[in-house]
Amino acid sequence: MSLPDIGEMVNPVLKQRLTTAQPWLSALTRLGLAAMFAVSGWSKVNELEDTVRSVRAYQLLPEAVVRPFAYGLPMIELCLTVILLLGIGIRLGALLTAALMVMFMFGVSMAWIRGLSIDCGCFGGAGGEVPDPVPGYITVLLRDAALLLVSLALARWPRSPFSLDGLLGAHYEQDGKSAPAAR
Amino acid sequence: MTNARQARTAREKAAEMRAAAARKQARQRATAIAGAVLAALVIVVASGILILTAKQDKTAKERAAVAPPANIVDGGLQIGSSSAKVTLDVWEDFQCPACQVFKEQFKTEIEGWVADGTVRVIYHPVSILNRYSSTEYSTRSLNAFAAVINADPTAAEQYHDLLFANQPPENTAGLPDAKLLDLAEQAGVQRSAVEAAITGVEYRGWTETVTDDFSKRGYTGTPTIVVNGKQVEKWEELASTVQQAAG
Repeated sequence: MSLPDIGEMVNPVLKQRLTTAQPWLSALTRLGLAAMFAVSGWSKVNELEDTVRSVRAYQLLPEAVVRPFAYGLPMIELCLTVILLLGIGIRLGALLTAALMVMFMFGVSMAWIRGLSIDCGCFGGAGGEVPDPVPGYITVLLRDAALLLVSLALARWPRSPFSLDGLLGAHYEQDGKSAPAAR
Repeated sequence: MTNARQARTAREKAAEMRAAAARKQARQRATAIAGAVLAALVIVVASGILILTAKQDKTAKERAAVAPPANIVDGGLQIGSSSAKVTLDVWEDFQCPACQVFKEQFKTEIEGWVADGTVRVIYHPVSILNRYSSTEYSTRSLNAFAAVINADPTAAEQYHDLLFANQPPENTAGLPDAKLLDLAEQAGVQRSAVEAAITGVEYRGWTETVTDDFSKRGYTGTPTIVVNGKQVEKWEELASTVQQAAG
């Protein structure tokens, strides 16, 4: 696996700074994503029937799958909280986060395209009806696109301090070099 | 090439090989960790789904064992004649401010349609707004409404209106059971006829059933206004839609 060099396009000083900052930025990203998933997962589990109705409101899944999906989604979000917070399997966690964001963007786009007037239910809530849903759809799509980029960046540069990956001696291939996950 | 040079090259090669082996091992370790984490995730999520599904099945069974309130017509409270040409279904939540506005705005008009026999109204309160109170007021108020219909359907319309007139603001504790009982008495029901059902939330299962029904019909918000099966999106079109349906 050969990855493109991070600093080829930037000057050496900036490159050096980025290289120094990267592990800390990655740790910060992990913390931020973990906090977000803690809130979104917890609020969905807390009002499970709201979550079920919210999933149903997207009208994308057959009724038999609605409940299992509504139960499983917050579980995955809470698992990602633990994975990213502890920093164990960081690259996997980042890729799963990216996949979730793609899925959310697909769901919201479909709702928009099909003219549904629903609230995204992202942080719980019942996917209730809203008079003008378009601003909400745009906000969610922009936010999830930003989170997609952030999670892909974390998958690209997973090395970070305070991680079990580092303690367990898992070394991520990064910039074509292998270095300890934590130093 | 001198011997010293050859020796150094060999040493460098050996060091490189050792480093490469270490890198390979570290990569393998990262892969192994990812595999273990993925397996753990699948197990946790799958067992979570199984546990919650089992819990839901049990709740559904318990729900089916409790008799629903008496005097329910087509899933709600019917006002007017069953032979009316037009059926107006109003899906609402006692915690929903827009539903209160709808009721205030259209009460007189709807009463007129009911009086001349063109329309029967089915009020379908549901409980989708429990997150807006600390005491599941959405469920408790709907349960109280069910208790009143069960005890005395002639008092239920007034109780319905009283619940909207006394709607608690969002993000509060909602009305206490004592207040729900006072209002029931005000609507003309014997306190003793509804007290156990209201304080014990005896119709909780029914509240879940009607709310599920609402959601499975594809409705997502309250109020949802339906005339002869067709959803009315704009309130200002209600009168013309009803007239059209009446022929």
